Amino acid sequence: MTAGTLVLSGAAGPLAYAQGSDEIRVGVVGCGGRGSGAAHNCVSSSPGVKIVALADAFEDRLRKLKTDFSVPDNRCFVGLDAYKQLLALDDINLVILATPPGFRPPQFAEAIRRGKNVFMEKPVAVCPAGAKMVIEASDLATQKGLGVVAGTQRRHQFEYVETMKRIHDGAIGDLVSAQCYWNMGGLWVSERQPGQGDVEWQIRNWLYFTWASGDHICEQHVHNLDVVNWAFNDVQPEAVHGLGGRQYRTDPKYGNIFDHFGVEFTYPGDVKTISMCRQIEGTANNVSERVVGTKGWSDCCGTIVGENNWRYRGPRSDAYVQEHTDLIKSIRAGKPLNEGKRIAESTLCAIMGRESAYSRQQFTRSWFMNRCTLNLVPAEGLKLSDAMPVPPAAVPGQYQLAGWVQERRGRRG
Amino acid sequence: MSSQVNTISGTHAGVAAGTAAVLAGMAHAQGSDKIKVGLLGCGGRGNGALQQDLQADPGVEVIALADLFEHKVRRTRDGLMKREQIKDRIKVADDHMYWGYDCHEKLAQCEADLLLMATAPAFRGRQLMAAIKAGKHVFTEKPVGTDVAGCKEIMEASRLAKEKGLAIVCGTQRRHEFSRVELMKRIHDGAIGELVGGQCYWYGEGIWFRGASEGMSELDWQCENWYHFTWLSGDQICEQHIHNIDVMNWCFDGPPAKITAVGGRQWRSSNQDQIKSAKEVCKRFNNGSEAGWEKYNGDIWDHIYAEFEYPNGARCLSFSGHSPGTGRNGEKIVGTKGTSDCRIGISGANAWKYEGEMVDGMVQEHKDLIASIRSGKPLNEGQRIAESTLTAIGARIAAYTGQVVAWDWLMNQSKQSLVPTQAELMSGKPLYHAIASGRDPMV
Repeated sequence: MTAGTLVLSGAAGPLAYAQGSDEIRVGVVGCGGRGSGAAHNCVSSSPGVKIVALADAFEDRLRKLKTDFSVPDNRCFVGLDAYKQLLALDDINLVILATPPGFRPPQFAEAIRRGKNVFMEKPVAVCPAGAKMVIEASDLATQKGLGVVAGTQRRHQFEYVETMKRIHDGAIGDLVSAQCYWNMGGLWVSERQPGQGDVEWQIRNWLYFTWASGDHICEQHVHNLDVVNWAFNDVQPEAVHGLGGRQYRTDPKYGNIFDHFGVEFTYPGDVKTISMCRQIEGTANNVSERVVGTKGWSDCCGTIVGENNWRYRGPRSDAYVQEHTDLIKSIRAGKPLNEGKRIAESTLCAIMGRESAYSRQQFTRSWFMNRCTLNLVPAEGLKLSDAMPVPPAAVPGQYQLAGWVQERRGRRG
Repeated sequence: MSSQVNTISGTHAGVAAGTAAVLAGMAHAQGSDKIKVGLLGCGGRGNGALQQDLQADPGVEVIALADLFEHKVRRTRDGLMKREQIKDRIKVADDHMYWGYDCHEKLAQCEADLLLMATAPAFRGRQLMAAIKAGKHVFTEKPVGTDVAGCKEIMEASRLAKEKGLAIVCGTQRRHEFSRVELMKRIHDGAIGELVGGQCYWYGEGIWFRGASEGMSELDWQCENWYHFTWLSGDQICEQHIHNIDVMNWCFDGPPAKITAVGGRQWRSSNQDQIKSAKEVCKRFNNGSEAGWEKYNGDIWDHIYAEFEYPNGARCLSFSGHSPGTGRNGEKIVGTKGTSDCRIGISGANAWKYEGEMVDGMVQEHKDLIASIRSGKPLNEGQRIAESTLTAIGARIAAYTGQVVAWDWLMNQSKQSLVPTQAELMSGKPLYHAIASGRDPMV
């Protein structure tokens, strides 16, 4: 799905960049590690790209990019509402959204409302309510002719793109199974400092709170789930059943997320896939995907084994840069890419897996989309100093799956 | 392992051929069609297995009973004697009732032809070894061990049984259901093409938690509440899910090459009913104090999600545990030409549904066992069930350690031994292992 292969018909409306120039003027919302990385990737991806405004919840997080790109004080915005101020600037035509994923849906919706092209980090939501906001805003982006690319960089990595073309052309036959993994050690922790309010600490330490990160199945493993969805031509799984827990990483500084998940997704035709992710220091690493068909299998990134053996031998590029190249090229060509719905759907898979594991209930996608009432979108007017107790980590039988009505059921097992 | 499949189906033919099988060189009474049976483990499953054995063959006579606890032995004999249809086949003399931690040794020395084993799985290795050394045929419940050392002892006893012409049949009854046997023949003959994936599940609600009754030592209580301790039960993946894992191994004609798994136990650790019971047990053994109650809450996990990679590269899901949530039980195998529920049918290019006689596998396994003894061609499922047990244990190790567990490592490098020696058991000391962390060392 490179820029060349996806032509959005009817998207030839007025381009949302500065009149009389094809300069891409970028605002960065969320200037932490990933936001900074994305800003630099964006600038190096194409000529005529300038970082012109910054927003972050915290002044100290914003300093590095401010220096890197000499952004003046009056174009640096701080606070939980800073993104609104940035998005109100008329001269910006592209925004990078890289705040914690819990904030993404309202920020993305506001960006589209304001007519900005968007590069947004994955995942794009942590709950179905948020994912629906993203899908709605993506539809609006299409209407407005705006480009939307998500930071699932594998979709822009040449060896993945070429492999997927072949899988879609039938090189491994009909898909009958798939596996994907993100098994690794731990990530950084931001310990609570004296005087930090609940909200401030949870945002600074956002990886470990479900409302902020979506848990690691959503925050990290979405990459791999997205690849499996891609292999299935973005047809979504019909049902999900997950297990998971918090067995090793139990210190309160790790918030309320799990340290492992194992989820079974059922795609149409009763095709079942394995999804496994773990964040426990010192355990075996495996970050990969594998799809299996009636004629062979593939690692999704350059290798096909079976009736149609093949190995990718073409050029390789830095996919973290390539995704920006593809986005900007598509904007300039007047045929903007729009990955909003697709990344929202892959994010939804991760959220479904998480909710199934939290509750140990099996449910359908249809139930989740139509009946699940979970809404973790931060309240309008949230303040850094607000009290926000950390909910306990989910325990089956105690965790209330929002909207779930327990059916009477006989003893099993 | 396909040879065993053939043997089993061959046995059906043997059964059909009638009861005129020649009694040749067998370990049961010369010139008699009686099979003298001793039962080891007089709990629910032991009584069930005994009933099924009696039902399988009219020549079965019960001559000995053994259990850790005297009251269970007596209760079992009393119960059997009250049943009109079978009481004349119950010939358990007072001196053929054995109890205590060495009851299996005493039982092995009696004149039984066939021993049924249904105690907690921890002790199966030494029980089976003692029985085979003493020349007994064996029916053993699954699983047959809780650690690597135990499984290896089963493999050794199984080799010895082969040398001595003794039968070992195991309570993985799916292997004896005609429908599954016929289905597996087709799968092995390529009806669904090359096997490229599969899933198996045993997820259910929780299980009993037993308190400590009067007169019990702490070790006695652990053995009575055996399910909750990994060294005694092997954890749920081993104790229960082994049925489904065994079916997957059956499909692939052997164990996986590599296992990866995740899991945990937050539900068991926060289940208030169970915690209350654990505290009661703690008080009972600690002069009324609740301090340190946690170890009485057991150490098994409540879920394990594993991937088995078989030697041909196929990766299969194993999904097991206990907690509130959606129950699952069953298997599915996926090939390049179709799929099967591993139970009754095949869909795909060679769609097929079994329409023959349905049998109760839990009786049929005893029929097949006894027929094989009578025909002088004893079935020996020891190696196979040790491999399936070790597959479950391997998945547990992968989950407990967070490492990838290779079959070669299990067979050649692991030194894991969780079960106390016989001498340690006789000393009566309880044994508690720490709850696995998810990154335990590989042993």
